[in-house]
Amino acid sequence: MTETSVTKKNDLPEVYIDDILMSLKYFTDEHEAHLKIIDPQVCINCKEKPCIQFCPVGAYRTQDGGTVQIAFQSCVECGTCRVMCPPANISWKLPRGGFGVSYKFG
Amino acid sequence: MDKNAKLEFDVIVIGAGLSGSAAAAIAARGGLKVALIERGQAPGNKNYFGGALYTHSLLEIYPDLWDRKPPLERPVTETGFWFLSKDGLVKATVQGGKVNSQPIDAYVALRSKFDAWWAEQAQKEGAFIIPKTLVVDFIRENGKVVGVKTDRDQGDIYAPVVIITEGVNNLLTQKLGLAKHDIKGDSAALAVKQLISLPSATINARFGLTDNDHGVAMSVMGDVSMGLPGLGFMYTGVDCVSVGVGVTLEALREAGIKPYELLQRYMNHPMIAPLIAGGRLMEYGAHIIPEGGWKDMPQLYTDGALVAGDAASMVNALHWEGTNMAIVAGKSAAETAIEAHQKKDFSAQSLSSYRTRLDKRFIMTDLHQYRNLSHFLKTHPDFMAIYPTFLNDALGMFFTGFGKPKRQLYKDILKSLTSRRPLFKAVGDIVAFGRTIIGI
Repeated sequence: MTETSVTKKNDLPEVYIDDILMSLKYFTDEHEAHLKIIDPQVCINCKEKPCIQFCPVGAYRTQDGGTVQIAFQSCVECGTCRVMCPPANISWKLPRGGFGVSYKFG
Repeated sequence: MDKNAKLEFDVIVIGAGLSGSAAAAIAARGGLKVALIERGQAPGNKNYFGGALYTHSLLEIYPDLWDRKPPLERPVTETGFWFLSKDGLVKATVQGGKVNSQPIDAYVALRSKFDAWWAEQAQKEGAFIIPKTLVVDFIRENGKVVGVKTDRDQGDIYAPVVIITEGVNNLLTQKLGLAKHDIKGDSAALAVKQLISLPSATINARFGLTDNDHGVAMSVMGDVSMGLPGLGFMYTGVDCVSVGVGVTLEALREAGIKPYELLQRYMNHPMIAPLIAGGRLMEYGAHIIPEGGWKDMPQLYTDGALVAGDAASMVNALHWEGTNMAIVAGKSAAETAIEAHQKKDFSAQSLSSYRTRLDKRFIMTDLHQYRNLSHFLKTHPDFMAIYPTFLNDALGMFFTGFGKPKRQLYKDILKSLTSRRPLFKAVGDIVAFGRTIIGI
C-alpha cells in the first residue's frame, strides 16, 4: 500500500492502477477484442469522456486527437462502461468462453 | 459420439454461480439430466463479492453441509455498522448473543474458492458441467426456448427448459425480452474491493477476535463513499481482509471519480489504515450489484426459460442479501423445472409456479418491501454525507464535554445537526427512511 502518497485537490489519493492490476490473472483472447469503440468520432465529440474516470481498471485512455482507446486485456467484465457511456458508443460483449479475467480468490 | 447427434439435456443452467449450481444440484437430485454451462475457466473464476454467505441458504441445498467441508473463511461473530466521519469512527456493532448462537448465521467466503466447491457438489449430484463455454443466444422453436447456442463449434445444446443464472449483466435475459431494459445507473452500484493478506494472528489482534473461529462483517457509511449514495464494507477472512466500497454508477459518473482512488482513500482513512497496515494486496476486483431489486426485476419466466439470482435483480441492498436469494431462487427454479417435466408442459403458464414458489418465500416479500430504497437514496443524495458525520460529532461532543455546562453541550450537539440540515428536514429524512424500510 505504497501508491497512496499524493493527495489531489479533490481529496483523492493518486493510485497507479497498473500496479494493482498485477494482482489479477487473465486469459487474454489474442484473436478478438470483446470491447470496441463503435464510432471513434463520437468519442472525439464527447466532452466529458467519463469512461476515463469510472472504469474500475482504467482500461479507457485518451489518445492524441481526442479518440479513446480500450485496453480490453485489463477488463474485469463489470459492465459499467456499457451502462454509463453517455453516447452509448461501446460495443460490449463478454469474452469468449475461457477468456478474460479469472479471479483466484473472488 | 455421432457428430450430427443433437446434444440434449432435460435442463440447461446458464452460469455456475451460487444460483446456477444450486439449481443444477436440485434438478439433478430430482432425476433430471442437467447441463451446467460456465463461461469461466472453471466455476468461480468470474464470480466476485464482498462478502459473506448465509448459512440458511447453504443448508437448504445441502442439509449435510458440514460433512461436505465447505471452503468457508471465518464465521461472522461481530457485525453491524461503522459510521465514518472525515477522521472519526462510530461503531454500532453486535457480538455474542444471537450473533454467536449455533449455527452461526453468516460466514465470510472467497467466491472463486467457494463457487468451485459449490459447483463440484452439483456435479456429485449428477449435473454435467461444461466450462469455458459462453452462451451467446437461445434456440427457439415457435417462440419457445428449446436450447442454447454457445460459442463452441457445433455448440448448440437442447433442453425443454433453460434456467438463466447469468449474473448482473443479464444480456441473455434482455435478449429474451424478459428484462425490458439494461441495468440502470441510478439503481446499480459498482463495488470495488481489495483483498489484503495479513497473518491470522494480526487480524485477531487488530479486530479483537478470540481466534480464527471469530470474524467481522461490517457495513461502513459516511466518509467511505465521500457522502455519495453508497456503502463500504470490511470482512475478515482467515488470513485476509476484504475491504471495499460501492457507489451507484450514476453517482460515480457525476462525481467524476476513479473507483480505485475512492477505495484507496477509504483504505487511507485514519481509522481504517491501521487495520490493514503492512498487508499485501492479494487481489483487486470490481463487480456491479443490481440494487434496484423489485423495480428492476425482469419477468421471471417465459416459454421454456426461468431467470434467477443477480440476473433477476434479486438483491436487498440494506440487508446485504443477494447470495441467499440467488440460492433459494435457483432451488425454486429447479423445482419448477422438475414439475414441468412431470407435467411435460414447459409453457410460461406451467413455469409460472416458479413465481408462486418465490412469493411464498422471503424473496418477493422483502424485495417488495424495500422497493423504494434506490429511490430514497436518489432523492436524499446527502443522506450518507450528513448523518454519519453528525453521529461522530454528537457522540464525540457528548463523551468529551467535561467541565462544560451540559445545557450548552446539548445546544452544540443540536447545532452540529442543524448546521448541516434544518431540523424539520432531518425529521423528514428519518420519517422518509422509516417509510422506505417498512415499505409503505
